Amino acid sequence: MFFHIVLERNMQLHPRHFGRNLRENLVSKLMKDVEGTCSGQHGFVVAITGIENIGKGMIRDGTGFVSFPIKYQCVVFRPFKGEILEAVVTMVNKMGFFAEAGPVQIFVSNHLIPDDMEFQIGDMPNYTTSDGSVKIQKDSEVRLKIIGTRVDATEIFCIGTIKDDFLGVINDPTTA
Amino acid sequence: MADDDYNDVDMGYQDEPPEPEIEEGAEEVDVDNLNNDDDVAGDPIEAEEKEEQEGVERPRKTSKYMTKYERARILGTRALQISMNAPVMVELEGETDPLEIAMKELRERKIPFTIRRYLPDGSYEDWGVDELIVEDSWKRQVGGD
Repeated sequence: MFFHIVLERNMQLHPRHFGRNLRENLVSKLMKDVEGTCSGQHGFVVAITGIENIGKGMIRDGTGFVSFPIKYQCVVFRPFKGEILEAVVTMVNKMGFFAEAGPVQIFVSNHLIPDDMEFQIGDMPNYTTSDGSVKIQKDSEVRLKIIGTRVDATEIFCIGTIKDDFLGVINDPTTA
Repeated sequence: MADDDYNDVDMGYQDEPPEPEIEEGAEEVDVDNLNNDDDVAGDPIEAEEKEEQEGVERPRKTSKYMTKYERARILGTRALQISMNAPVMVELEGETDPLEIAMKELRERKIPFTIRRYLPDGSYEDWGVDELIVEDSWKRQVGGD
Protein backbone atom coordinates (compact mmCIF):
# COMPACT_ATOMS: atom_id res chain seq x y z
CA MET A 1 0.00 0.00 0.00
CA PHE A 2 1.22 3.50 -0.68
CA PHE A 3 1.25 6.25 1.87
CA HIS A 4 1.99 9.93 1.70
CA ILE A 5 3.68 10.78 4.96
CA VAL A 6 5.95 13.32 6.55
CA LEU A 7 9.34 12.09 7.66
CA GLU A 8 12.21 13.80 9.37
CA ARG A 9 15.91 13.37 8.85
CA ASN A 10 19.12 15.03 9.89
CA MET A 11 21.27 15.84 6.92
CA GLN A 12 24.95 16.63 7.18
CA LEU A 13 26.08 19.18 4.66
CA HIS A 14 29.65 19.70 3.54
CA PRO A 15 30.92 23.28 3.82
CA ARG A 16 31.52 23.48 0.08
CA HIS A 17 27.74 23.45 -0.43
CA PHE A 18 27.14 26.53 1.67
CA GLY A 19 26.16 29.81 0.12
CA ARG A 20 23.07 30.96 -1.66
CA ASN A 21 22.23 27.50 -2.97
CA LEU A 22 22.42 25.87 0.42
CA ARG A 23 18.80 24.82 0.45
CA GLU A 24 18.82 23.44 -3.08
CA ASN A 25 21.96 21.48 -2.33
CA LEU A 26 20.43 20.16 0.83
CA VAL A 27 17.27 19.02 -0.92
CA SER A 28 19.07 17.35 -3.77
CA LYS A 29 21.33 15.54 -1.35
CA LEU A 30 18.28 14.47 0.62
CA MET A 31 16.68 13.05 -2.51
CA LYS A 32 19.85 11.21 -3.46
CA ASP A 33 20.18 9.76 0.01
CA VAL A 34 16.60 8.85 0.74
CA GLU A 35 14.79 7.92 -2.44
CA GLY A 36 14.91 4.21 -3.05
CA THR A 37 15.88 3.33 0.48
CA CYS A 38 13.84 1.10 2.70
CA SER A 39 13.13 1.38 6.35
CA GLY A 40 11.41 -1.42 8.18
CA GLN A 41 8.98 0.93 9.81
CA HIS A 42 7.82 2.95 6.85
CA GLY A 43 8.66 0.79 3.88
CA PHE A 44 10.29 1.88 0.66
CA VAL A 45 10.66 5.58 0.03
CA VAL A 46 9.46 5.98 -3.51
CA ALA A 47 9.74 9.72 -4.00
CA ILE A 48 10.04 12.95 -2.11
CA THR A 49 7.16 15.21 -2.97
CA GLY A 50 7.91 18.26 -0.91
CA ILE A 51 9.86 19.85 1.89
CA GLU A 52 7.91 20.85 4.98
CA ASN A 53 10.67 22.77 6.66
CA ILE A 54 14.37 22.96 7.14
CA GLY A 55 15.40 23.59 10.72
CA LYS A 56 18.32 25.56 12.01
CA GLY A 57 21.68 24.07 11.24
CA MET A 58 24.01 22.89 13.91
CA ILE A 59 27.74 22.90 13.41
CA ARG A 60 29.39 19.60 14.12
CA ASP A 61 32.58 20.07 16.01
CA GLY A 62 35.78 18.96 14.47
CA THR A 63 34.40 18.36 11.02
CA GLY A 64 33.01 21.75 10.03
CA PHE A 65 29.93 19.98 8.69
CA VAL A 66 26.54 21.38 9.50
CA SER A 67 23.57 19.17 10.23
CA PHE A 68 20.09 20.35 9.37
CA PRO A 69 16.90 18.70 10.56
CA ILE A 70 14.63 18.43 7.53
CA LYS A 71 10.97 17.54 7.47
CA TYR A 72 9.86 16.25 4.11
CA GLN A 73 6.79 14.72 2.56
CA CYS A 74 7.29 11.52 0.67
CA VAL A 75 5.47 8.63 -0.90
CA VAL A 76 6.29 5.33 0.72
CA PHE A 77 5.38 1.83 -0.31
CA ARG A 78 4.80 -0.70 2.42
CA PRO A 79 3.45 -4.21 1.76
CA PHE A 80 1.06 -5.65 4.31
CA LYS A 81 -0.13 -9.11 5.15
CA GLY A 82 -3.33 -9.88 3.28
CA GLU A 83 -2.72 -7.25 0.64
CA ILE A 84 -3.38 -8.14 -3.00
CA LEU A 85 -0.62 -7.09 -5.35
CA GLU A 86 0.20 -7.48 -9.00
CA ALA A 87 3.74 -8.59 -9.59
CA VAL A 88 6.08 -9.70 -12.35
CA VAL A 89 7.64 -13.14 -12.11
CA THR A 90 11.42 -12.98 -12.09
CA MET A 91 12.52 -16.53 -11.40
CA VAL A 92 10.87 -19.94 -11.45
CA ASN A 93 12.26 -23.07 -9.85
CA LYS A 94 10.94 -26.24 -8.33
CA MET A 95 10.48 -24.65 -4.92
CA GLY A 96 8.15 -22.02 -6.29
CA PHE A 97 8.69 -18.67 -7.96
CA PHE A 98 9.91 -15.21 -7.16
CA ALA A 99 8.04 -12.12 -8.25
CA GLU A 100 8.71 -8.41 -7.93
CA ALA A 101 6.20 -5.67 -7.27
CA GLY A 102 8.29 -2.57 -7.65
CA PRO A 103 11.05 -2.74 -5.09
CA VAL A 104 9.66 -5.61 -3.07
CA GLN A 105 10.53 -9.24 -3.68
CA ILE A 106 7.82 -11.84 -3.15
CA PHE A 107 8.30 -15.57 -2.98
CA VAL A 108 5.45 -17.92 -3.81
CA SER A 109 6.16 -21.44 -2.66
CA ASN A 110 4.84 -24.37 -4.66
CA HIS A 111 2.60 -25.23 -1.72
CA LEU A 112 0.86 -21.94 -2.36
CA ILE A 113 0.39 -22.54 -6.05
CA PRO A 114 -2.86 -24.29 -7.03
CA ASP A 115 -2.50 -28.07 -6.89
CA ASP A 116 -3.35 -28.54 -10.53
CA MET A 117 -0.28 -26.58 -11.62
CA GLU A 118 2.82 -28.65 -12.17
CA PHE A 119 6.43 -27.60 -12.36
CA GLN A 120 7.92 -28.10 -15.82
CA ILE A 121 11.68 -28.08 -15.98
CA GLY A 122 13.43 -27.01 -19.13
CA ASP A 123 14.84 -24.03 -20.94
CA MET A 124 12.09 -21.85 -19.54
CA PRO A 125 11.03 -23.43 -16.26
CA ASN A 126 7.38 -22.83 -15.57
CA TYR A 127 4.27 -23.91 -13.74
CA THR A 128 1.54 -25.16 -16.02
CA THR A 129 -1.93 -26.56 -15.52
CA SER A 130 -2.54 -30.06 -16.79
CA ASP A 131 -4.46 -28.80 -19.81
CA GLY A 132 -1.75 -26.24 -20.56
CA SER A 133 -4.13 -23.28 -20.54
CA VAL A 134 -2.37 -21.38 -17.78
CA LYS A 135 1.36 -21.01 -17.58
CA ILE A 136 3.52 -19.15 -15.09
CA GLN A 137 7.03 -18.43 -16.28
CA LYS A 138 9.55 -15.63 -16.17
CA ASP A 139 7.98 -12.26 -17.02
CA SER A 140 4.43 -13.45 -16.44
CA GLU A 141 2.28 -11.03 -14.52
CA VAL A 142 0.49 -12.54 -11.59
CA ARG A 143 -1.95 -11.27 -9.05
CA LEU A 144 -1.08 -12.61 -5.62
CA LYS A 145 -1.90 -12.18 -1.99
CA ILE A 146 0.75 -11.48 0.61
CA ILE A 147 0.52 -13.89 3.51
CA GLY A 148 3.68 -13.01 5.31
CA THR A 149 6.26 -10.27 5.49
CA ARG A 150 9.71 -10.24 6.93
CA VAL A 151 10.72 -6.74 7.85
CA ASP A 152 14.37 -6.01 8.45
CA ALA A 153 15.83 -2.65 9.21
CA THR A 154 16.73 -2.11 5.58
CA GLU A 155 14.77 -4.72 3.65
CA ILE A 156 11.27 -6.07 3.27
CA PHE A 157 10.66 -9.54 1.94
CA CYS A 158 7.27 -11.13 1.38
CA ILE A 159 5.73 -14.53 1.01
CA GLY A 160 2.75 -14.66 -1.31
CA THR A 161 0.10 -17.09 -2.44
CA ILE A 162 -1.89 -17.57 -5.63
CA LYS A 163 -4.00 -20.36 -4.17
CA ASP A 164 -7.13 -18.33 -3.75
CA ASP A 165 -10.04 -17.06 -5.76
CA PHE A 166 -9.22 -14.51 -8.43
CA LEU A 167 -5.48 -14.92 -8.00
CA GLY A 168 -3.05 -16.13 -10.60
CA VAL A 169 -1.80 -15.14 -14.01
CA ILE A 170 -3.25 -11.93 -15.35
CA ASN A 171 -1.05 -11.48 -18.39
CA ASP A 172 1.08 -14.04 -20.13
CA PRO A 173 4.12 -12.80 -22.08
CA THR A 174 3.75 -15.61 -24.62
CA THR A 175 0.22 -14.73 -25.55
CA ALA A 176 0.62 -10.98 -25.40
CA MET B 1 18.91 21.08 26.16
CA ALA B 2 18.72 17.42 25.60
CA ASP B 3 18.51 17.85 21.90
CA ASP B 4 22.13 18.59 21.43
CA ASP B 5 24.17 17.23 24.15
CA TYR B 6 26.44 15.61 21.64
CA ASN B 7 28.71 18.47 21.21
CA ASP B 8 29.18 19.92 24.51
CA VAL B 9 31.00 16.89 25.64
CA ASP B 10 34.25 18.48 24.80
CA MET B 11 33.20 21.92 25.82
CA GLY B 12 32.24 21.12 29.31
CA TYR B 13 34.80 23.43 30.79
CA GLN B 14 33.79 26.23 32.98
CA ASP B 15 35.82 29.17 32.03
CA GLU B 16 36.07 32.45 33.68
CA PRO B 17 34.41 35.28 31.93
CA PRO B 18 37.25 37.17 30.43
CA GLU B 19 35.82 40.50 31.16
CA PRO B 20 37.06 42.26 34.24
CA GLU B 21 36.34 40.53 37.50
CA ILE B 22 33.38 41.56 39.52
CA GLU B 23 34.65 41.60 42.99
CA GLU B 24 32.33 42.04 45.83
CA GLY B 25 33.51 45.62 45.97
CA ALA B 26 32.02 46.04 42.57
CA GLU B 27 32.79 49.61 41.96
CA GLU B 28 31.25 50.52 38.69
CA VAL B 29 34.47 51.49 37.11
CA ASP B 30 34.39 48.95 34.36
CA VAL B 31 34.79 51.07 31.38
CA ASP B 32 32.30 49.14 29.46
CA ASN B 33 30.40 46.66 31.51
CA LEU B 34 27.42 48.88 31.77
CA ASN B 35 24.39 46.75 32.07
CA ASN B 36 25.52 43.56 33.57
CA ASP B 37 25.89 43.15 37.24
CA ASP B 38 26.40 39.43 37.46
CA ASP B 39 26.70 38.08 34.03
CA VAL B 40 27.94 34.60 33.78
CA ALA B 41 29.57 33.93 30.51
CA GLY B 42 30.15 30.34 31.37
CA ASP B 43 29.73 28.93 27.98
CA PRO B 44 29.78 25.66 26.38
CA ILE B 45 29.48 27.59 23.22
CA GLU B 46 27.67 26.18 20.41
CA ALA B 47 27.57 27.67 17.05
CA GLU B 48 24.83 27.59 14.53
CA GLU B 49 24.42 28.28 10.89
CA LYS B 50 22.03 30.82 9.53
CA GLU B 51 19.46 33.14 10.89
CA GLU B 52 19.63 33.58 14.59
CA GLN B 53 16.64 34.20 16.71
CA GLU B 54 16.06 34.14 20.40
CA GLY B 55 15.80 30.71 21.81
CA VAL B 56 14.21 32.41 24.78
CA GLU B 57 11.94 35.39 24.86
CA ARG B 58 13.39 36.74 28.05
CA PRO B 59 15.94 39.48 27.65
CA ARG B 60 19.37 37.98 27.38
CA LYS B 61 21.59 38.46 30.35
CA THR B 62 25.00 37.17 29.41
CA SER B 63 27.82 39.42 28.40
CA LYS B 64 27.67 41.19 25.08
CA TYR B 65 31.37 40.61 24.73
CA MET B 66 32.64 37.62 22.91
CA THR B 67 34.82 35.57 25.19
CA LYS B 68 38.25 34.59 24.02
CA TYR B 69 37.08 30.99 24.07
CA GLU B 70 34.16 31.74 21.83
CA ARG B 71 36.43 33.69 19.56
CA ALA B 72 38.89 30.82 19.37
CA ARG B 73 36.21 28.28 18.64
CA ILE B 74 34.53 30.39 16.03
CA LEU B 75 37.75 31.20 14.26
CA GLY B 76 38.79 27.58 14.35
CA THR B 77 35.47 26.27 13.07
CA ARG B 78 35.17 28.92 10.42
CA ALA B 79 38.74 28.42 9.26
CA LEU B 80 38.07 24.71 9.01
CA GLN B 81 35.02 25.33 6.88
CA ILE B 82 36.89 27.77 4.67
CA SER B 83 39.62 25.22 4.26
CA MET B 84 36.92 22.83 3.07
CA ASN B 85 35.84 25.20 0.34
CA ALA B 86 33.01 27.00 2.08
CA PRO B 87 32.15 30.23 0.26
CA VAL B 88 34.01 33.17 1.78
CA MET B 89 31.82 36.02 2.98
CA VAL B 90 34.32 38.84 2.48
CA GLU B 91 36.32 40.31 -0.33
CA LEU B 92 39.77 38.84 -0.37
CA GLU B 93 42.88 40.80 -1.02
CA GLY B 94 45.25 38.00 -1.68
CA GLU B 95 44.77 36.16 1.59
CA THR B 96 45.08 32.44 1.29
CA ASP B 97 45.38 31.20 4.85
CA PRO B 98 41.96 29.99 6.03
CA LEU B 99 42.55 31.27 9.54
CA GLU B 100 43.52 34.64 8.21
CA ILE B 101 40.37 34.74 6.09
CA ALA B 102 38.30 33.71 9.11
CA MET B 103 39.83 36.55 11.11
CA LYS B 104 39.01 38.98 8.36
CA GLU B 105 35.43 37.73 8.32
CA LEU B 106 35.23 38.15 12.08
CA ARG B 107 36.61 41.66 11.85
CA GLU B 108 33.94 42.52 9.31
CA ARG B 109 31.30 40.63 11.32
CA LYS B 110 30.43 38.46 8.38
CA ILE B 111 30.71 35.08 10.03
CA PRO B 112 27.33 33.41 9.57
CA PHE B 113 27.21 31.74 12.96
CA THR B 114 25.11 31.98 16.05
CA ILE B 115 26.60 31.17 19.41
CA ARG B 116 24.46 29.20 21.79
CA ARG B 117 25.58 29.95 25.32
CA TYR B 118 24.45 27.35 27.76
CA LEU B 119 23.91 28.52 31.29
CA PRO B 120 24.43 26.34 34.34
CA ASP B 121 20.69 25.69 34.66
CA GLY B 122 20.59 24.22 31.19
CA SER B 123 18.87 27.13 29.52
CA TYR B 124 20.66 28.93 26.76
CA GLU B 125 20.93 32.21 24.96
CA ASP B 126 21.63 32.63 21.29
CA TRP B 127 23.90 35.41 20.22
CA GLY B 128 24.74 36.13 16.63
CA VAL B 129 28.42 36.60 16.04
CA ASP B 130 27.59 39.94 14.48
CA GLU B 131 25.96 41.13 17.71
CA LEU B 132 28.88 40.39 19.97
CA ILE B 133 31.62 42.85 20.65
CA VAL B 134 34.96 41.37 19.85
CA GLU B 135 37.54 42.70 22.21
CA ASP B 136 40.68 43.05 20.20
CA SER B 137 42.99 43.10 23.15
CA TRP B 138 44.30 39.66 22.41
CA LYS B 139 46.91 40.65 19.97
CA ARG B 140 46.96 37.38 18.20
CA GLN B 141 45.65 38.30 14.85
CA VAL B 142 47.78 36.77 12.22
CA GLY B 143 47.32 39.47 9.64
CA GLY B 144 46.46 42.34 11.92
CA ASP B 145 49.97 43.19 12.97
